Amino acid sequence: MSYIIEDIETRSREELFINIHPIQPGGRLTPEAMKAIIAYGDGYSTCDWCRAPFRLDKIKRPPIAEFHEELAKFLGMDIARVVPGARRGFQAVVNSLVEKGDSVIVSSLAHYTEFLAVEAAGGLVKEVPLNENNVVTGENTAQKIETVKKETGTLPKLIMIDHFDYMFGNEHDVYRIAKIAKEYGIPFLYNGAYTIGVMPVNGKQIGADFLVGSGHKSFASPAPSGIVATTEEWMDEVFRTTQMVGDVTKRKFGIKEVEMMGCTLMGATMIAMMASFPTVRERVKHWGEEIRKSNYFIDEFLKIEGNQVSSELPRKHTLTKVDTTGSFDKIAQTHKRRGFFFSDELKERRILGEFPGATRAWKLNTYGLTWDQIKYLAQSFQDIARKYGISVA
Amino acid sequence: MAEKAVEETFAALFALTDLRQIFRDTKPTYKLNVEQKEKIRKIIERVKQSIDIIEGELLK
Repeated sequence: MSYIIEDIETRSREELFINIHPIQPGGRLTPEAMKAIIAYGDGYSTCDWCRAPFRLDKIKRPPIAEFHEELAKFLGMDIARVVPGARRGFQAVVNSLVEKGDSVIVSSLAHYTEFLAVEAAGGLVKEVPLNENNVVTGENTAQKIETVKKETGTLPKLIMIDHFDYMFGNEHDVYRIAKIAKEYGIPFLYNGAYTIGVMPVNGKQIGADFLVGSGHKSFASPAPSGIVATTEEWMDEVFRTTQMVGDVTKRKFGIKEVEMMGCTLMGATMIAMMASFPTVRERVKHWGEEIRKSNYFIDEFLKIEGNQVSSELPRKHTLTKVDTTGSFDKIAQTHKRRGFFFSDELKERRILGEFPGATRAWKLNTYGLTWDQIKYLAQSFQDIARKYGISVA
Repeated sequence: MAEKAVEETFAALFALTDLRQIFRDTKPTYKLNVEQKEKIRKIIERVKQSIDIIEGELLK
C-alpha cells in the first residue's frame, strides 16, 4: 500500500478490484480526465486565460465556452451550465421558480437533495405515490397535481421527477409526465442524475423545461460536478444576472449569474469533465450493450437459489436492487463473521462495492464492466453460493 | 533546459495513466490480449524515453 501523505492512502481499488458500488461506476474517470487532474489540479488553473467578460462559461482557452455550447447541443437543450453537483442544479431552478408556501411535485423516490432544494426556497414537497411496480406514472402524477390543486387552491410551481431512481434503478414515465406538466402549464425538471452521461438524453424530445445531471454519478467526472440545462424560455429566469449595486461604492457585477454564484466549476473538476466529454458522447451510444450486460448478470444471479431482484425486470438500467435474504443471509445467520462473510468472500475474489455486512437487501451496479468482467462477476457469485451449499440452477 | 524535462515529466505521467486504464480494463485477472500487450510495450518505451531525457536535461 502506498500513501500520498502519512495517513492518506493511494486509492487503487479501481485498478485492483471489480467495483460494483451502486453509485460509483458512472463517475469513474476516463484516462483523459485523470490526465486533466494531473495537469490542472492547481486551484485557479482554468483562469489563466480568463478575459473580459470574466465568466467561466466565456473562457476560450482551454475551450470552456465551446464545451458549454456543445454540452447544450448534446442534451438537446438551448443552454447549459456546469454546477457543483446535481443538487446545485435543483437549487438553481427551485430558487428561481419557487416562493414561500409553493408546492413542488417530486417522486416518492426523490433524492434527498430535491427535498433540501425545495425547503431552502421555502416550498413544500408533494410526493407522487409509486404504482405496484415501484414506478412513477403519468396518471399518478396527474392525480397528485389535482390533489395539490384541491388542497391548496393553486397548481404546483414545479414538477421534478427522476428518470431512473437511486433506490431501484427503475424507469419512471418521464415522457408522459412531461406531457402532463405541459398540459397543466407547470414547468418540468428532468432529473438525469442516473442517465445523463451514460444513456442518450434529449431534453426537447422528452419535453423537459430543465435537465439536471450529475458529473460524478454519470459523466465520468470528479466530484462535485453536475449540469443544469434549460430552454430559451427559462434561461433569463434561471441564469439571470445580478442587478445589485453597492450603496457606498456603487459597484456592480453585471455579468455574474446569481444562481451560479458567479463561476461554478473551476480548475481540475471543470477540465476533467471536458476531457471526459468525447468518451461520454460516444459511450451513451452503447447503453444498449450495458443493459445486455446488466441483464446477463442478473439472469446468472437469479440462478442462485433464494436470490431475488427488487427492481423491475428485465433491467433497463445497470443499477439494481437485489435481495439475498433467501440465500447468503441464511449463511450469515450462523457464520462467525455474520454478514461480513459475504464481503470477505467477494473481496477474496477481488470484488467490492457491496454494502459491507449486508446480506439482505442491497444494491449493485455493473456499468462499464467488460464482458469478461461481467462473466467473472456472475461466476464469482455462483462460486460463493456453491461453496456454502446453496443450489445454483 | 528545464522546459523539455517538464514536458517529458507530463508525457511520462500521461503514459502511466494509460497503463492505469489497462489495469482497470483487465482487473482482476489481468489477462492481456495481444493489443493490450503491445500498448503496454509502447507505454514502457515512452516512459523510459522520457526518463532518459529528464536525466539528460537535469543530471548530466
